[in-house]
Amino acid sequence: MMNEMSEATVFTELPWLYTGLVAYALATLSAFYGLVRTRGGDAGAAVNRSHESLVLALLTGGVILLTASLAERWLRLGHGPFVNLFELLISQLFSLGLIYAVAYWRLPVLRPTAVVVLPMLWVLGTWVLLLEPSDSHYPPTYYNEWLWAHVGFGKFFLAFCLIGSGLAGVILLRRIPRVAPFFRHLPPDKVLDHMAWRFMLLALIFDSLMLIAGAVWAQDAWGRYWAWDALETSSFLNWLFLGAALHARLSYRIPIHVGALAIIGIFVFAFLTYFGTPFYSEAAHKGVI
Amino acid sequence: MTALLRRLSSTRFTLLGMALLAVGAALSYDNPVDTPVWALVAPMALLAVNLLAAVMSNARINRRPGLLIFHLSLLGIVILAAIGRLTHMEAHIEMVEGSTFDPAELMNVRKGPWHRGELEKVVFVQGPFTVDYGPGMMRGPTRSHVLVPDGQGGWERRVVGDDTPLVLEGYRFYTTFNKGFAAVLTWIPETGEPVTGTIHMPSYPLFDFRQANRWTPPGGEEVKFWLQLETGLKADQAWTLDPSKAHGILVLRSGEQREELLPGQATALPGGVLRYEGLSSWMGYKLFYDPTLQWLFLTAVIGVLGLAAYFWNKFATHPWPQAGEVSRKGAEPELETAPWGGGKL
Ligand code: HEM
Repeated sequence: MMNEMSEATVFTELPWLYTGLVAYALATLSAFYGLVRTRGGDAGAAVNRSHESLVLALLTGGVILLTASLAERWLRLGHGPFVNLFELLISQLFSLGLIYAVAYWRLPVLRPTAVVVLPMLWVLGTWVLLLEPSDSHYPPTYYNEWLWAHVGFGKFFLAFCLIGSGLAGVILLRRIPRVAPFFRHLPPDKVLDHMAWRFMLLALIFDSLMLIAGAVWAQDAWGRYWAWDALETSSFLNWLFLGAALHARLSYRIPIHVGALAIIGIFVFAFLTYFGTPFYSEAAHKGVI
Repeated sequence: MTALLRRLSSTRFTLLGMALLAVGAALSYDNPVDTPVWALVAPMALLAVNLLAAVMSNARINRRPGLLIFHLSLLGIVILAAIGRLTHMEAHIEMVEGSTFDPAELMNVRKGPWHRGELEKVVFVQGPFTVDYGPGMMRGPTRSHVLVPDGQGGWERRVVGDDTPLVLEGYRFYTTFNKGFAAVLTWIPETGEPVTGTIHMPSYPLFDFRQANRWTPPGGEEVKFWLQLETGLKADQAWTLDPSKAHGILVLRSGEQREELLPGQATALPGGVLRYEGLSSWMGYKLFYDPTLQWLFLTAVIGVLGLAAYFWNKFATHPWPQAGEVSRKGAEPELETAPWGGGKL
């Protein structure tokens, strides 16, 4: 329910947010359209992938519009999108879109994963549409430079998990005989698996950096670097599972599709850590009393 | 010996240790008092032995400098964190404006058995403070003024608050949400010397409506105090808590007697006279001491740099595969390791 104050507030960031989401929606549709159109050619035949530039353009457009939405809100409230779930979701839609767009542009081999990655982004997109864009109060402990490092590293961590999950998703989809032909111009599973784990190793590096920056910030903000609160426990477990999965893969012959499930599991865990725990346990991370 | 090392270095232990550590972390969630410290220490010890054995016997780890640095830094972090727990100190203190830090006033003190800090060398004087609030009583920045010795016989002013602690002799003092008002009182007994002290009222504005406390003067009867405050608090507007601009009438009850005192006024009570000298404030600090902080940070950063170097070495020479290329040729790309790890070093 809105209070009197916010009823008078004009949420000027919303038009940018909505058009940004429309751009993401069109990018998703064109990715699917492109996938369907390439079906039927001989296995391995060169396929017309002109839709890819459209997907990239729409994705880039969406990122620019979301940047405008974030900037508008930032100017309106006087602080960055770090506090409530509505802000966190737009901010992640922006950064995940941006990092994926760069990967899409520079690594053409990843492009067919858009049909897995973009629908995953839509979990965030749908969620943000269901939330009140309520104004947030900036806690005094957030005026700390380490917040930037912590949030920035976290964005890369989640984006690399997302790309790994895109590849893992393709590996799993290819196990369905009717779907497999859609992905025939991608390298074999073994190569996709190798690429996915390369991203997961990169994700571990950024996850570790995120934990370090977070611990420094926590020391400044709450006078302790670690305290096993909901978010800290969850993010430590996430880091540990990622490390354990990388290990297990080197120590045992893990079937490729099991590895793919592990990657998606780690991404889902990260997702719940980011968007679940801080709001499940409000006290520590919000620091507002 | 080598056979034993080899056995201890098995990566099965690593996965077992990681699984046990996950259980330990889950049990430690929210720091329940009944979770033994072994829930974390035992898996970490297992991992440490496993890792040391691997470093000594497994070329897959000890011939790759980046990976080795990463793993050794994990070991370093565990050791430093353990040293930190053994030497740390945590406590709370409420500092009244104008008072000098006195270790005897620390509350909820928790410290490790090896704590060897020089707390007696810590000197600072609490000055005034302000706290900004946004509409809806949302707490904003805290500015607490303190005086610390400048080393030349004088005092140096510092402003601390929120994420800027006061650091003296390695002890870190953090302002907290816990702060409030105090009444400065002088008790003039019928016989003996007068004593001046403070009565701390509950945290403000959290307990705005409960600014009460009680005290029994030496040789007298229990007195109940209630502070009628005027601070300019506006719950729905931005506002600054500034005790130096606040006014307070002290209401006291002793038996059937009820008095309202303005600063400077006194009243006779059984056993003596009580004078209300004036309104003061107190700031609640959290004290934290851990000599390993910088080392932990350094070790962790070096570890991540090691992992990054390992990543770089592993993949720099292996370009990303191209779409279409592989299946068209029907050939498999060369991978630097087989997915199950049977690759070359
Ligand atoms: C404490 C006991 C540990 C031991 C004995 C150990 C041992 C090893 C060994 C022998 C390797 C090389 C494997 C190979 O190339 O076949 C390795 C790789 C690795 N370890 Fe550990 N490790 C331990 C803990 C950890 C932890 C706690 C993490 C992080 C959460 C971790 C992360 C990694 C990573 C990222 C790799 C490289 C994986 C890759 O190249 O894909 N290790 N470890």
